[in-house]
Formats: sequence, C-alpha cells, structure tokens
Amino acid sequence: MRTYPFPHARYPLNSTDKSVDTRYSVTFDQGTLLLQCPSTQHHSQRDHLAEQFGDGVWTWDDRVAAWRCEAFHYRNVITTLWRQKLPYLDEASQWEHIEWPGVEIHSPRPEQAKAIQQWMEDKRGVVVMPTGTGKTEVALHLLAKTQCSTLIVSPVRDLMYQWHRRIKLGLRYDAGIIGDNTFNVRPVSVTTYDSAAIHAAKLGDRFKLVVFDECHHLPGNFRRDAATMSIAPWRLGLTATLIRSDGKHADLESLIGPVVYELKIAAVKGKALADFDVIKIPVHLSAEEQFRYDTDSLKVKTFVRERLQTDAGFRWEDLCSESARDPIARDVLVAFRSKQAIEDRAEEKLRVLEDLFRLHAGTPIIVFAGSNAMARDVSIRFLIPSMLNHCGKKERFEILQGLADGTYPAIVANQVLDEGVDVPTVKVAIVIGGSSSTRQAKQRLGRVLRKSGNSRAILYEVVCMDTGEEKRSRKRRKSDAYERTRHRRV
Amino acid sequence: MLTRELAIAEYDSGEIKPDRLTRARHAQYLQLAQRMLNTYEHGLGVIRKQLHQRIHALFEQEHDCPTRRIDAFCKLLDEKAVYDKDDRAKARSLRCKVFRMAARHHPLVQSPDRMFESGEEATKEEIASQLGIPWCEIEQKLFADVIQFHRLREFHGYDSPADLLARYNVAQTQAVLYDASSMVVWAKDDFKRILRYAKLARLMHTIVRRPDGSYQITFDGPVSVLRRTRRYGTAFAKFLPALLSCQGWKMKATIQHRRSHWQNQFCLSPADGLKSNVQPADVFDSSLEADFVGKWGDQPRHGWRLIREGEILFKHQKVFVPDFVLVHASGRRILMEIVGFWTPEYLAEKQKRCGCFVITESSWRSPIRPKVPN
Repeated sequence: MRTYPFPHARYPLNSTDKSVDTRYSVTFDQGTLLLQCPSTQHHSQRDHLAEQFGDGVWTWDDRVAAWRCEAFHYRNVITTLWRQKLPYLDEASQWEHIEWPGVEIHSPRPEQAKAIQQWMEDKRGVVVMPTGTGKTEVALHLLAKTQCSTLIVSPVRDLMYQWHRRIKLGLRYDAGIIGDNTFNVRPVSVTTYDSAAIHAAKLGDRFKLVVFDECHHLPGNFRRDAATMSIAPWRLGLTATLIRSDGKHADLESLIGPVVYELKIAAVKGKALADFDVIKIPVHLSAEEQFRYDTDSLKVKTFVRERLQTDAGFRWEDLCSESARDPIARDVLVAFRSKQAIEDRAEEKLRVLEDLFRLHAGTPIIVFAGSNAMARDVSIRFLIPSMLNHCGKKERFEILQGLADGTYPAIVANQVLDEGVDVPTVKVAIVIGGSSSTRQAKQRLGRVLRKSGNSRAILYEVVCMDTGEEKRSRKRRKSDAYERTRHRRV
Repeated sequence: MLTRELAIAEYDSGEIKPDRLTRARHAQYLQLAQRMLNTYEHGLGVIRKQLHQRIHALFEQEHDCPTRRIDAFCKLLDEKAVYDKDDRAKARSLRCKVFRMAARHHPLVQSPDRMFESGEEATKEEIASQLGIPWCEIEQKLFADVIQFHRLREFHGYDSPADLLARYNVAQTQAVLYDASSMVVWAKDDFKRILRYAKLARLMHTIVRRPDGSYQITFDGPVSVLRRTRRYGTAFAKFLPALLSCQGWKMKATIQHRRSHWQNQFCLSPADGLKSNVQPADVFDSSLEADFVGKWGDQPRHGWRLIREGEILFKHQKVFVPDFVLVHASGRRILMEIVGFWTPEYLAEKQKRCGCFVITESSWRSPIRPKVPN
C-alpha cells in the first residue's frame, strides 16, 4: 500500500514563522486552492508550475495575486510537492483523525471483502454493486478503516437520514446533518448532492474522505461541484448502475476515480437476491375517462399535425414556448397534462389494487404511484400510509418500521422511495405509474428483490391500455434489470 | 425571488430580454393586478391550491399570458402571505391514528363478502365515530400539512397594483441573472455603495479606472478564473435590487444558456426604469461631511473643485473610497478623508490601511493590465 503525505490533522500553523517565505503555501479559498510560491523562486513561475504539476493546473489570479486551481487537484498538488521534496505549508486541510466510539458491523461477505480491499489500494474509485448486495456495509467498513473526517453524499433526504442511522448503529457516532433545513457540520457528516454542491465553498476543506452514494448522480452540471470544489484526497463512489443516458458517467473517473470493483447483477441472482416474476395487468379507462382522454388526445394530435405541415422542424419543446403567446397552444398544453393525469389516476387502477390486496392478504405490499395525487388517492381509499415528499423523517421512519413489524399491511410511495432507501423485506410490489428510465426500473425492482426464504418475489405492473403508459411499460422492460425474469400476463 | 422554472425571457440576436410588463403594452395588467391583490386579501382561510386556481381563473380570457407568468404572480403573492403550517404535527398524528385503526381491517373492499368483511364506507364510518369527528372532516384534515393544502392566514400585500407589477419586472430580471457567469458594471457615481453591496453578495471584483474618471468593475467569484460557471448567478440576482437603487451606472451580464451553453448578453441601466425595493442611500455617511460640503459651496475655490467619493483606491480585493477628491484646474488631484472622533491607534490603523494602496500616475491614465509574475 502506498503512503501519502496527507496530514492526519490540521497542520500546526505558526504565523510568526519566518521560514514561511521560503515555502510554497497552499490554502483553500471557497472551493478552490490558492498557491503562493516562495519569494526566493525567481525564474518563471508559470513554466516552473507547469513542469511540476502539469499543464494548465494553475491559473494566475490577478484579483488576489496568487495561483489558483480547482480544489480537487489537492491530492495531485500535495503529492507533487512531497515527491519533489519542495518545502511547503499545507494550510488547506481542516480535517481530523476520528476514533469511532465502537465498531459493530457484520464481517464482510467475500464479494464485499474484495471490494474493500480493492478500494483501499489507492483510496479512490468507484464500487459497482447491485441494489441489495450491501454497498452501505462496504462503505461502513471503509469508514472504520480510514478513521478520518468523512462526508457522505446521498441523492435524497431519506437516504441521508438512513446513512445517519447506519453510522450510529455501526460506528456509534452521531454524524452531522447538512440539508433538509439543517446545517450541522461535524467531522463526520451526511448530506445530499444538492446541499453538497450549494455549500461546496464552505465544506470543501473539511473532509479527507468523501463518499458519493448512487454516484451516477454526481456528473450533473451543478452537482459535480460537490466533487470539484472539495480537496478530499480520498474518494469513494457507490452505485448499482454506472451508466447515464447522457454519457457523462465517463467524468466519474476524474471526479472520483476509476471503477475499482464491479459485481454484475447476474452474479448475485438467486444468492443475495430472490428470483422474481413480472406480471403486467392491463386496465382500461372508464367510458367517461376514455372520452376525456380521447378528446384531449385528439386536440394534441391535431395541433401537432397541423404544425408539422407548416413547420417540419416543429418539436414538442416549441409548444411550451409558444404557449406564452398563443392561447390555443396553451390549451393544447393543458390538454396534454390532463391526458397524463387521467391515465395516472384511472379509477380502475384502484379496483385492481383492491383485487391484489385481496390476493396477497397477509403479505406486506409496497405500491408505487406515479404522482403525489395518486398516492394520496390510494392512501385515502385503502387507509394505508403514504410516503410522500412532505413527510418528515420521523414519519417516514415510522411508516417503514410499521411495514416491517406488521403494524401496516401495505404502504404507498411515490419517487421518494426510488433509490436505495432501506425497505423492509417485501415480496410483492405493485407499480401503478411512473416514468420509464432504466435506472428507476432497476431501483424499483431492487425493493422487491430482497431475499427471504425461498419464495419468489412478484412485481405487478398496472398499465392503462391504449395510452402512452403502455409504451413506457414496454420501454421499461428493455432494461437489463428485467433480464431473465418471467413475464406473465393476466 | 422566483424559481428558475418561472423565468420567462426572449432571445434576440444574442441579447436576452426578460419578460417585462409595461403600461404601453400591458395596460390591462393594472386591473388584473388589482384583482389578484383582491383575491388574496379576501382569501383568508382558503387553501393555497385554490388561491392559485383563482389567480389562474382571472387570466382565462387573457390572450397574452404564458402560464409561467401567472405562476410567477402566485409566487410573488405567496412571498407576502403567511400560511398556517401548525397543522403539521396534528395532521401527522391523525394519519398515524387512522391508518393504525384501519390496519386490522385491511383490505377495505368495495363490497364486503365472506372472505373480506370490511367495506370501505362502513370502516370509515366506524373510525369516524370512534374518533368523534365526521369522516368528511377527517378526510379534509388528513393531508392538511401538504403545501398545496395550507390555509392562508395573513396577507401583507403590495402598496399598489403598480407595485406588484414593478416587483414582477425586477423578479424576472433577477431570474435572468441566475444563469449569469459574470457581470460588468460601469459606474460614474455611487462606487462605494455598489462595491459594498457586491461584497455583501459575496462577489469578487476587478476594478479598472477609465480615462474619463469612471470605473469598470467586473464582478464574479473565486472559481470564475478557472472556468465559466453559473455558480454565482444567485449572488448577481441578490445584488441587482441594490444596484437598481444606485445612480449613474450601466451593466452588462454574460448569460450562459442552460442547455445549449450559448452565451448571451444582458444589458441594463437606470434608463430601463426598473424600480427597486432597496432604499436609496443617505447622501452622507456623517453630518461632518455634509457640513464640509455646505461650507465649501458649489463653486470651485482657488481653482479646486470638490468631488464627493469620486475615486476608488484598490489593491486586489481591498477597497477604499476616500470621502472627497479635490481636483485642480491644472489636473492635480488630492484625496481627502474626513476623520471625526479619533485616537492615535485609529489614525495608525487608517494610515496602515491607506499605505497598501500605491497610486501611480499611470494607474490614473490607463487601465491596469493584469501582471503575471515574469
């Protein structure tokens, strides 16, 4: 294992030290690094820096009379100074050594142990493991080993709280929370991508290790600042699906590091995960709904067809901008939205739900709705709890706990449950709406895949026939998460 | 401020124009604004969703009106409104109670049979009678903590319909700046105020003195020197109302389009007539300065003209604007700072602060070029 010169704790800084002028000084400034070269350094600084650190790393900033670069170059900068035996003063890092009050984590399974070992070699990189194979445990083991100030970045607030709980249980440490209207920074803290990016200028120097959970979210335009504006020399990415439809996953290599370990979904099928069936249940709109749907549909189609005749390049986005000037376009847009709402909240879906509840009475069930409104419809019709954005963390926890211990027979959720949130073992899930992206399908399946005994899990898809929803369902099935599943029709 | 989704702007040959309501082209909006204010004033106790629906209904017959503009008005009205939020804990505990009571009846079926005896209606009636509240009321309260179901408690309103429209125009202009990567301000007056507010918005500046005595000040943030970023967009937007309350300036912002990454220019000056809700500054910091100006008078004395806060001393991010500049007909200039109550320590500190600014003749004549070491 290579060792690096990163200090364990803040460098004791003596401001009266007369030798300061003979050293390179590196400081952190709002998400960037500033470098002051020794005053004894007389030949061309630009060439000297390019030669030592690589071309284009440092940029001269006349506003403050110093060299500036992105904070994530910190590791490279300090390593270079150290290797070249250049005298330097590291005023950038503000992290601490952590003594965990108590480590109580299951010893890792073989594939987890492999992932841990691979990452420890260079302490930067991405671990790819399917949902339900214990990514969180891998991270907890690494936290226990590295013992340093750590920031954990997760996609949604639920997950953030879940990390908080897992750290409390596994490492007996009460982590700070940054996000959800809280700003409590502690040496080990949990946050969301959005908060991490917004506060990057303030947080960038505090953590030696940053863990990006579901790290395929990181390369977004603004969110990537959570990585570029941090000096953390150690970085861990966790994900089940590395691929982004925009191709930006390639950036993860520079933002976090290379893929150090990958476990394929097929490798765990039947081991950590149960086999599962996908059953599609077609529903039809009621006569009244169908009439409204068709009227709206016709309106949209006629408009688009007419526009395409005069303007071959017409796209759907143009309609949105046109709706500003044109009351007809606005009307069409309203029709489009109402069309979506009709299929999302079709009455028959509630009837199908009743039948499925009857069929699986006594088995815990999770229902996924396509919108908050539909989730509330289900909640009021069957008097089962709904996990929605407005629920506080206490309520969400109470609901999940209630499903696990049998207090609640079933719950309904919208996309807040989509990713990685620890869901109690469930063998039946029902999707009654939602979008078609591959990732979402995979994450949703992850919920019902958790192994329990030998029984197979079932995923029901309730889909409106003769509508756009049917198309989305077909697209969903193409994702590799559905590979080798049995498709049945009712 | 508006959210990004509510921004409306047009692109016209590289120039960006935020949505703007004017008396000339949108006369009918004054009346609409009055009706919007009335809706909220008479809407106490009404839920948010319904208020927004009523506002949308006002615009039904209005041809020239994008949905986003109506949503933006809702946002601006909500900014001055107080909604009841206390129901959060109440609604939550009601939900918890109801769902727990219903759990043993699951599943609630439409028509009970031998296998499943709990009908939906009967169960709901039973729960209602156990809680002693009619079911319709329970259903209304069950999700009272959802934002759209909050009830309006107070509305502080705008001073006049015109005020609401003025606020709208500024808000749309601010929304354009969310995507700004940098901003250049040319100022003849009010330097001190402009720089102070920019500092409050946590912006960095680069100052260049121009031959005519005005200044070109470029605002951006630490990262801007490394890459174009919209990170400081909200800072520019926050800074805008303060800039609008100043005089004698011209502004140009570089806006980066979200998806295409095209760059557009956005220009603004007091001539555009946007009204700020920030109070204009007091003319003088202290009465001493006012007295001094009063005694000096408007006319030059012995060839010396008195100009208030007419010069910026700057080095990197340090800035100092002396109270006065005395300019002689021959071109000589003297910077003057009035010190009221003083102590030797205060003077020493002030001297040290001024000492770091080096003024050379050339810095007054030509713009300073960035000096890269060697």
